[in-house]
Amino acid sequence: MTIDQLFRFDNLSIFVSIFIVFFSVITIIYSLGFMRKEKRLISYYLYLILTLLVSMAAVFANNLILFVIFWGFLGLLLYLLIGFGDKKRTQATAKKAFIIIGGTDAFMLFGIALIWVMTGTFKMDGLNIALNSKAAILAYLCLAAGAFAKAGAMPFHTWVPDTAEDAPTPVTAFLPASLDKLLGIYFLARISLYIFKMNFAMNTFLMVIGSVSIVAAVMMALVQHDLKRLLGYHAVSQVGYMVLGIGTGNPIGIAGGLFHMLNNAIYKSGLFLSGGAVEKRTGTTNLDKLGGLAKMMPITFIAFLIASLAISGVPPFNGFASKWMIYQGIIETAKNGNHLWFIWLVAAMFGSALTLASFMKLIHAVFLGQPFDEVRSAQNPIREVGPTMWIPMVTLAGLCVLFGVLVYRVPLKMFILPAIGEPVSFIGSWWAAPATILLVAGIIIGIIIYLLGKAVKPRETEIFVGGERVSDVPEMRLSGTEFYNTIQEIGILKFIYELANKKFFDIYEVGSKLTFGFNGFLRYLHNGVLPTYLAWCLLGMMVLFFILLR
Amino acid sequence: MIYLLYFILYGFFLTAVIGLVASWIDRKVTARVQYRVGPPVLQPLIDIVKLLGKETLVPRGASKAAFLGAPLFGLASVMLVSTILWMNNINTQNTFLGDLIVVLYVLTIPSISIIMGGFASSNPLASIGASREMKLVLSYELPFVLAVLVPVIHSGFSIRIGSLLTYQASNGVFAGSLSGALALIVAILCVQAKLALVPFDMPEAETEIAGGVLIEYSGTPLAVYKLMKNMLLFVLPFFLMIIFMGGLRTDGIHLLYGVLKYVGLVAIITVIRNTNPRVRIDQAVRFFWGPVTILAIIAVILAFKGL
Repeated sequence: MTIDQLFRFDNLSIFVSIFIVFFSVITIIYSLGFMRKEKRLISYYLYLILTLLVSMAAVFANNLILFVIFWGFLGLLLYLLIGFGDKKRTQATAKKAFIIIGGTDAFMLFGIALIWVMTGTFKMDGLNIALNSKAAILAYLCLAAGAFAKAGAMPFHTWVPDTAEDAPTPVTAFLPASLDKLLGIYFLARISLYIFKMNFAMNTFLMVIGSVSIVAAVMMALVQHDLKRLLGYHAVSQVGYMVLGIGTGNPIGIAGGLFHMLNNAIYKSGLFLSGGAVEKRTGTTNLDKLGGLAKMMPITFIAFLIASLAISGVPPFNGFASKWMIYQGIIETAKNGNHLWFIWLVAAMFGSALTLASFMKLIHAVFLGQPFDEVRSAQNPIREVGPTMWIPMVTLAGLCVLFGVLVYRVPLKMFILPAIGEPVSFIGSWWAAPATILLVAGIIIGIIIYLLGKAVKPRETEIFVGGERVSDVPEMRLSGTEFYNTIQEIGILKFIYELANKKFFDIYEVGSKLTFGFNGFLRYLHNGVLPTYLAWCLLGMMVLFFILLR
Repeated sequence: MIYLLYFILYGFFLTAVIGLVASWIDRKVTARVQYRVGPPVLQPLIDIVKLLGKETLVPRGASKAAFLGAPLFGLASVMLVSTILWMNNINTQNTFLGDLIVVLYVLTIPSISIIMGGFASSNPLASIGASREMKLVLSYELPFVLAVLVPVIHSGFSIRIGSLLTYQASNGVFAGSLSGALALIVAILCVQAKLALVPFDMPEAETEIAGGVLIEYSGTPLAVYKLMKNMLLFVLPFFLMIIFMGGLRTDGIHLLYGVLKYVGLVAIITVIRNTNPRVRIDQAVRFFWGPVTILAIIAVILAFKGL
């Protein structure tokens, strides 16, 4: 076998690999600040660099067997890296992630076997399988399950929020937030665009998965009380947009999906890194115990604000540009006479409003609002994090702005459109750079109004709450976690939230309950009493005799 | 450079002037409904100029940059969306700056600005008000998106504002069809909530949380917020006019029709605001996610049938 048969370097894989390297560098710089004074640092950095190398190998692999080997190795590295967390549940979480990802790896092996039976080859670039037989559909679903589990799309998402909560923050920012998204969506794009020829039913299936992921995960995010867990649910919700984009099956939608994958990796790791900075300085991620940090950590606040506006799809940041392309892809599917498109479109746009809502809550609870007493205690004043931690955050926030404003000149022209290889036609228009200039001009007009008025020298006063002093009445403090309780109480949503709290939608919990239930039955049979076993033998013999001698 | 001129001329001055006049109409009609005389025409402008001369107060412990910066972003976004609407309305052949999706998304920035400003006040009452504003955004966004899809379906899946207008110029306005009329009703209700007017004024709720999001604002920042709200009173009805009622045409008698359409929309909004009590936030969420969304879905389905 020559190297050509094992590895291949096309535009899609080169694009993904550039950002794998980028996020590895960002994470390593950040870890220098965040992981200081931790134990086993040599193996931590070793695993990070191994992850980088193995991901590159997986992206460039041209042989399905080789690919699945690297893929499985990545699952192991994820397990090891989660283990660096110091929470009580870390071990259980690492096991959960490993089982979900490893289990879907088994599906992938099965899918690859099916491909081999159908075509007799493992080479990726020679394949072009039509989805017209049951075996082909099964093979596609098996491979897609692997991609979904890695990227964290529903129904294989449940390891992502747990990992976000329990793993060390740089690991979360590195793997579930950026690298696993890049790899999972890379593989989904690879199988959907190159290995298989998609048809209408399969595209609709992808769009259903995408829409459900968007709305369901963000509804869960609305009611979380932990900073990192909330971000973890968004990591699931954003995958929905990428799956939706790829599911549209037209060039603009696919380009939007891939662009969203890149944007999501940028702002999501930015969010996790800023969250990690808050965790580092305050020692907690519980939203009830934070608040008012914007004054003490201004750089972190700005980075977090930009990233959260980007993830909510506020123009002119990058998240808007990719969502806008996905919406056009969805509208484009309408031209085939399919009426279901408006459901996907409304789910995606409404999901975006819900995302905004949960980030507003987060900004209130962490950076604005009234500070928590322990946070503002005098003997331990909270200050900004060091440069090794804020440089990565600021870089990512800067990229959010850059990729949003210069959307056609930088990201689309350099990375996305070459990877698609087809001409992309926009049905709408969005002049990102002129609009940004006008927005800045509007802000300048506002500043002129400020200068005309007396806003330049403001006077500080106590806040007004009907004559009371807020510091005397601690119950008056709002953390922000209770903002959406009214929504939780509405009609059918209440029922769904209750089911979700019982982990009814967690494929891992349901699976382990089924397994342990089955085991329990077997355990009940094997009670170690000789007469019982004899009775079973006798019973079995009678059944055998009945069948054989009938 | 010419864009900057458009931006300042149309996006700022024209919008501000019409917005202030509309705000005067609103106050005058309200006063007449309540058997009062009502203010003179210049009163909205006088209010804003007066606020510019007042001292600016910043609450202690609040983030000064976020507190003073939030109104600026809101004002700039309203100017941007107004410029997009004006330019696409004037020249329907070429697109300018953005399409329908862009407008929908930029229209959420004023709400974000109000929410951020409320949060930055570090006042519990402002936090409550801002959280209500956020829930209000959530509740109306679902039916509003559905309603906006109706013109998109009618025009053969176009999201360019110019082509929506040219389609209406040759085939009659969308509000003339059954689905368009239903969608317009839904959209007017959503605009009522977007403007945070009674019955959906719970983010401010003077009698209950003393101004809510605006409680700590004074002087110039408050003037900017007031100006932004007045400009929104022009921008949102203008948006509805463009996507449902054929926009504002400047040729002959159509100019008069355009003005009448706009005044009619403002009058409807004013009448709704004067004949209803304030509802609770959970009632508003139920109202928008329940009957209004169902109405919007019916409109979308009718639009698919071509009605």
